[in-house]
Amino acid sequence: MAFLAGFVDGLKALGINLPTLLAQLVNFTVLLVVLYLLAYKPVMRMLDERRRRIQEGLEASEEAKRRLAQAEEEARAQMERTRLEAQAIVAQAQELARRLQEEARAQARQEAEQILARAREEIVLERDAAIAQLRREFADLTVQAAERVIRQALDREAHRRLIEEALSQSPLGDGGGQ
Amino acid sequence: MRGRAVLLGLVLLAILGFVFLRGPSPHIQIKAEVLASLGPVNITNTMVTSWIVVALLIVLVFLLTRRWELVPRGPQNFVEAVVEAFFNLASQMVGERLARRFLPVTATIFFFILFANWFSLAPVFNAIGLVKEVVPSEEGAAHEGKAFVMEKVDLGPLPIAFTLPSSPDRLQGEAIELNEPEAETKVEEKRAEGKLVGEFLPFLRSMNTDVNMPLALAVAASIAVEYWGISALGLGAYGRTFFNFGKLGRGLRSLRPMAIMEGAVDAFVGLLELVSHLVRLVSFTFRLFGNMFAGEVVILMFTFLVPLLLTLPFYGLELFVGIVQAFIFAALTLVFGLGAVEHAAAGEHH
Repeated sequence: MAFLAGFVDGLKALGINLPTLLAQLVNFTVLLVVLYLLAYKPVMRMLDERRRRIQEGLEASEEAKRRLAQAEEEARAQMERTRLEAQAIVAQAQELARRLQEEARAQARQEAEQILARAREEIVLERDAAIAQLRREFADLTVQAAERVIRQALDREAHRRLIEEALSQSPLGDGGGQ
Repeated sequence: MRGRAVLLGLVLLAILGFVFLRGPSPHIQIKAEVLASLGPVNITNTMVTSWIVVALLIVLVFLLTRRWELVPRGPQNFVEAVVEAFFNLASQMVGERLARRFLPVTATIFFFILFANWFSLAPVFNAIGLVKEVVPSEEGAAHEGKAFVMEKVDLGPLPIAFTLPSSPDRLQGEAIELNEPEAETKVEEKRAEGKLVGEFLPFLRSMNTDVNMPLALAVAASIAVEYWGISALGLGAYGRTFFNFGKLGRGLRSLRPMAIMEGAVDAFVGLLELVSHLVRLVSFTFRLFGNMFAGEVVILMFTFLVPLLLTLPFYGLELFVGIVQAFIFAALTLVFGLGAVEHAAAGEHH
């Protein structure tokens, strides 16, 4: 009991008293509540909100980066495809040109040969015709000459046969017989 | 050359202050001075300071945070930065989840103590106040404290008195120790000279130099800590961390000596825990009170001894002590809170 009394006296000497203590507690509580409402709550809300937004922003930028890379990749692939196609087209065209050239050359050669052959044929025909005519004229001449020489009127047809026989045994007659 | 001149000037300034500006030696009193009584409640100067600090903080925060915007501007930045800095610190100590829970109480403790400590370095503290004339009719009554000899200025309804500083013929302001044997005659003499002899009750005195305020804060912190502990585990389980007799009872029933020993140790540890929680209250209170009271006394004494210049380092020191004490109080509350919650978490595993 004496100890307790001494304790209380000590507290009084320090100036501790219940009303003041309670009043200070109330002061603290008021400050706590007001600061909670005015500062801590809104600040924490702001922090959370801002953190959320930054998170979202980062994610969005990440997504955009990913999409950009994807688009670039696509563009590159497209370009590659186009290049290959173009190459194929050029190769095809070159092939076509080569073939056309080849064909034209072959045709030209063929035509030239045809012309040459025809020319040769014509020459042969002309020669034959000339030989035939020569032969006919020569036969007539020969008949007239023979008539004059032997003054013997021979049957024209018999003569001709004789001459034909003679001619066919001569080297000139070979060509005419054909 | 220039440095030497500055040094000489400073020394001269200190000497001038010593010769011309020394007031009477201050009266050091542990109890807060009572300015008025309102029923059972004494309005002390520390309580007035506490009201002013609370009001200033509230008004300040209210003005700084008129509207909240996601992109902070100007003053909002400041409030956010300060709260966020404290929150980050608390997060490092107790983790983010608990920091969120502990923030309101611990941050209020921190900013309240910090603001009060720094605010109390303003020059009006312990300088302006009520003067209570030492009444002659109380002769013989055991006086305590110190009466200052003051000059009166009559301004009609506003009676003003002030102590004279030192002068070359009298190296300090005048004061009379009231418990001296010849105090009464001295008081009479001075009064006959037309001076006012009275006790001085400053309007403002640093909030934490009154034991009541640190004690109130310690009580609030303890209530918060116990509340966190209880809400983390529930009243019964949290109570068992202090009154842990279950194992002892089981041991006694089973009559196995080892079990009884273990139970007894657990019960003892629980009681130690209880004592430590009570001691916490005391250590909280007197750490803050002791530091702030000592700081105030040092500043008062140095203002008395060397009024100019040499007081300044102690103001710097007090700025430092002010924030350190505020931080220690808040940090310990955080740590104790963590302890209470973790205790509870550890208890769940048993």
